[in-house]
Amino acid sequence: MDTKEVTYVGVGRVGDFEERIGRVVRIGGVELAVFRTTGGEFFALENRSPGPRGGTLADGIVSGVVLFDPICDWRIGLRDGAVLAPDTGQVRAYPVRVQDGEVQIGYSAS
Amino acid sequence: MNATTTRQRLVVIGNGMAGINTVEQILKLDPQRYEITVFGSEPYPNYNRIQLSYVLEKSKSIDEIILNSWEWYRENGIDLRTGTTVTRIDTDSRTVHTEDGTVVPYDKVIVATGSKPLMLPIPGADKEGIVGFRDIADCETMLHAAKLYRKAAVIGGGLLGLEAAKGLLKLGMDVTVVHLVEELMERQLDRTASLMLQAELESQGLKFATGRQTAEFLGGQRVTGLRFSDGTTLEAEFVVMAAGIRPNTEVGRASGLTVNRGIVVDDYMRSSAPDVYAVGECGEHRGVCYGLVAPLFEQGAVLAKHLCGVETKPYEGSVVSTQLKISGVDVFSAGEFMDAPDLNVVRMHDEWHRIYKKVLLRGGRIVGGVLVGDGKQAARLQQWIRTGTVMTEEIHAAIMGTAAAEAGNSAADLPDEEIVCGCNGVTKKHIVDAIRDNGLTTVDEIKACTGASRSCGGCRPVVEQILQFTLGDKYDSAAAKKEGICGCTKLTRDEVVAGIQEKGLLTSKEVMHVLGWDNPEGCSKCRPALNYYLGMIWPAEHQDEKDSRFVNERMHANIQKDGTFGVVPRMYGGVTTPEDLRLIADVAVKYNVKLVKVTGGQRLDLLGVSKEDLPKIWEDLGMPSGYAYAKALRTVKTCVGSQFCRFGTKDSMGMGILLEKKFERLDMPAKFKLAVNGCPRNCAESSTKDIGIVGNEGAWEIYVGGNGGIKSRLADLLCKVKTDEELVEIVAAFMQHYRETGKYLERTSDWIERVGLASVTAAVVEDTENRKALAARMETALSQVKEPWKEVLDNPVLRQRLYSEIQVPVGTK
Ligand SMILES: Cc1cc2nc3c(=O)[nH]c(=O)nc-3n(C[C@H](O)[C@H](O)[C@H](O)COP(=O)(O)OP(=O)(O)OC[C@H]3O[C@@H](n4cnc5c(N)ncnc54)[C@H](O)[C@@H]3O)c2cc1C
Ligand code: SF4
Repeated sequence: MDTKEVTYVGVGRVGDFEERIGRVVRIGGVELAVFRTTGGEFFALENRSPGPRGGTLADGIVSGVVLFDPICDWRIGLRDGAVLAPDTGQVRAYPVRVQDGEVQIGYSAS
Repeated sequence: MNATTTRQRLVVIGNGMAGINTVEQILKLDPQRYEITVFGSEPYPNYNRIQLSYVLEKSKSIDEIILNSWEWYRENGIDLRTGTTVTRIDTDSRTVHTEDGTVVPYDKVIVATGSKPLMLPIPGADKEGIVGFRDIADCETMLHAAKLYRKAAVIGGGLLGLEAAKGLLKLGMDVTVVHLVEELMERQLDRTASLMLQAELESQGLKFATGRQTAEFLGGQRVTGLRFSDGTTLEAEFVVMAAGIRPNTEVGRASGLTVNRGIVVDDYMRSSAPDVYAVGECGEHRGVCYGLVAPLFEQGAVLAKHLCGVETKPYEGSVVSTQLKISGVDVFSAGEFMDAPDLNVVRMHDEWHRIYKKVLLRGGRIVGGVLVGDGKQAARLQQWIRTGTVMTEEIHAAIMGTAAAEAGNSAADLPDEEIVCGCNGVTKKHIVDAIRDNGLTTVDEIKACTGASRSCGGCRPVVEQILQFTLGDKYDSAAAKKEGICGCTKLTRDEVVAGIQEKGLLTSKEVMHVLGWDNPEGCSKCRPALNYYLGMIWPAEHQDEKDSRFVNERMHANIQKDGTFGVVPRMYGGVTTPEDLRLIADVAVKYNVKLVKVTGGQRLDLLGVSKEDLPKIWEDLGMPSGYAYAKALRTVKTCVGSQFCRFGTKDSMGMGILLEKKFERLDMPAKFKLAVNGCPRNCAESSTKDIGIVGNEGAWEIYVGGNGGIKSRLADLLCKVKTDEELVEIVAAFMQHYRETGKYLERTSDWIERVGLASVTAAVVEDTENRKALAARMETALSQVKEPWKEVLDNPVLRQRLYSEIQVPVGTK
């Protein structure tokens, strides 16, 4: 793993996040949308819609590991932030891990 | 790196529909092949020019018609230079030169500069207030003018002119269409069709001056009117020239390319100079300059293949078709349309239904057609024309509607490269491959996978034929055509509701599991719908599923384009008090809201509130939510009525407040609006509401199914009642009947059209027992509703999870 370049910061306990309801987390100047899936996995995306009309992502509908953009209804893969066909685009995805019940998000200092 | 140095340089001049469509196709075929630079005069990324008509009538915003976002260019490594006009190509030094002096070398260059509006060279044409209709800037000029002036003239009664005229009319202008000949759209329609079109547009409020030649523009610096060659005049403070387009060949000429009317190209879009190509409206192919998008997709496909070294058939020209994008006017035309001695004509003219259909045959083959008033067969007809299909009994029956016979499948004859979905540029091959590779069996799956039929839906019948043709024996026609509520299931709304009731399913999870959803957690279409159906069927047992609510309903506030929210407190019947107004004003000041707006539903909207401030504002207001965000009762608009108005026969305010208090908060299939009026003068506008109530001497009239939105519809009279009790009972029964039979997101206007007014009258008015049962079920449902703002304030965990952000300063370990 390339953990040397990535710093993990704690953003809260697992219980602070509702399943399938995104929450906005700000780390420094970056605004993220953090999601907890039904399977208990956590994902973090930059909170910015890739669609033509802009907007944020945190309030989209989560299904499995796919997020439906609340503004343009595009489908975005939570794992890698890639927009799914037939649309195209990319949202920046951040690594998330859970340690001792704490949700930690990795960001690179650069 | 090596790869980049070996890439060839492709320069595209013109950031419009043809240029960028070609680039998209190149990227699909061979994304690494070219280093691409795009020049565009306009300051926008590529947008859907066709939909400027919608921007003009304000049913779409500019953002909504963007086809390729800024990110798209960035992600594909395209060097986009907007606001930059190219002056010429130097074919000797193989460079492209711009207005601002930039010089860019190329290996291949595509000219895609489109067209310009034809500005008639008439005295006075340079006056202020005379514009063309081609781009966003023109559209903005028109929107602006509509605010300042009242009288407009549109010169040109073709597709573009009529759409411009209708847009200006919708913006409140008094519009006259001036047309040189007697018949509108005379290059696409015969006299009969043209007269029908004019009658329909006149009934919508447009005026016409046909058979008039404009000889001069009157006025000083700014235009004040037109003078025609017959000496008559027309007052006009604003003029749109839509008399035609002219290929934009300036770059072509300045670069020494052979230019006729357009830049002359061969069957591979090659111009007269090596490695210089032209595509779209600026080009002239086999003597034809096109003015519609379908040909440019076909040209782009050939050019992209040619440029990527993929073998391709030559481009041999296109059969174009025209479809007017004006609501309430179904007009389609393709191929030949005028009677001629060598043609046989199949014609049907039904003056009662106002339908006209005409199909033209040459030697038994279909070579053209016109449809007015019923465009259902347009997509198939177009396909038959393109392929020159031989007329058969089946086709005749399908078009003329004489029998419900299934027409033969002509998908087999379609060439692979034929664009089936013009809106999204999807070819037959693309669809066939998607069906084969992914084992698709329904039209909806094809839509999800390829985008075909996603935008206007016109090609749906053809997509269905391709599916049938591709699957052969495995094709199940009922299953393929049936529209499930979304892509996750093939079940219809009624089947889902029946399943929930019969099997006693209580949560979306159970529904998806038991009814066999393809996607275990559903999608953004079925999740909110199921949450609604479950709540409607099990009012007491169902737990609302917040994660299935759209953002506005989840947050109980209206999200705005900048991510802030609007807060609208309840103001029953549009009646308030000085104390409440003062409180609202104080709160607005305290939270520094960006704007206070009086809404169309008679209340106040506080705009520009951050998510975190929402609960605080609600707490300070101490008022119930106005549900301005919800699929529920929005407002009850009332007039002053008998309490104050000298015409009033009924207490409209009193009744409005009573109804609003009774029915607020309850989930409905879609938003729901009421109005109550004290007399037939109808000051609170009953005819555009889901339920509009009009007071009369001794009676209330109840109108239903009205809509004043994008698809407007006047309400129908449901019944008259004598007493207030009867009124409340009928309203309750009507709302409950709609809740129980409406599809999620279906407004009453669409619902009534679907189920028929007669069936609603029978269920709600005539069958008194059923009416009482409906009203009783409504009471059960109403007993479960909760005030949402208070619920959030009373629940600190919910408040925290939904409304507060987590802040992490960087540097924390
Ligand atoms: C209001 C309206 C409604 C329409 N409705 C329909 C419809 O219903 N159906 C249909 O099929 N078609 C319709 N059309 C026509 C359709 O929009 C055109 O066929 C299509 O846009 C042509 O594409 P193009 O790329 O050739 O030209 P454009 O889309 O016009 O693109 C050309 C671009 O090149 C830029 N450009 C020009 N010269 C230069 C230069 N020297 N340097 C840099 N950039 C330059 C222009 O600014 C422009 O952005 C409509 C058009 C309008 C205006
Ligand atoms: S609708 Fe009749 S009662 Fe109501 S305000 Fe208008 S005129 Fe008066």
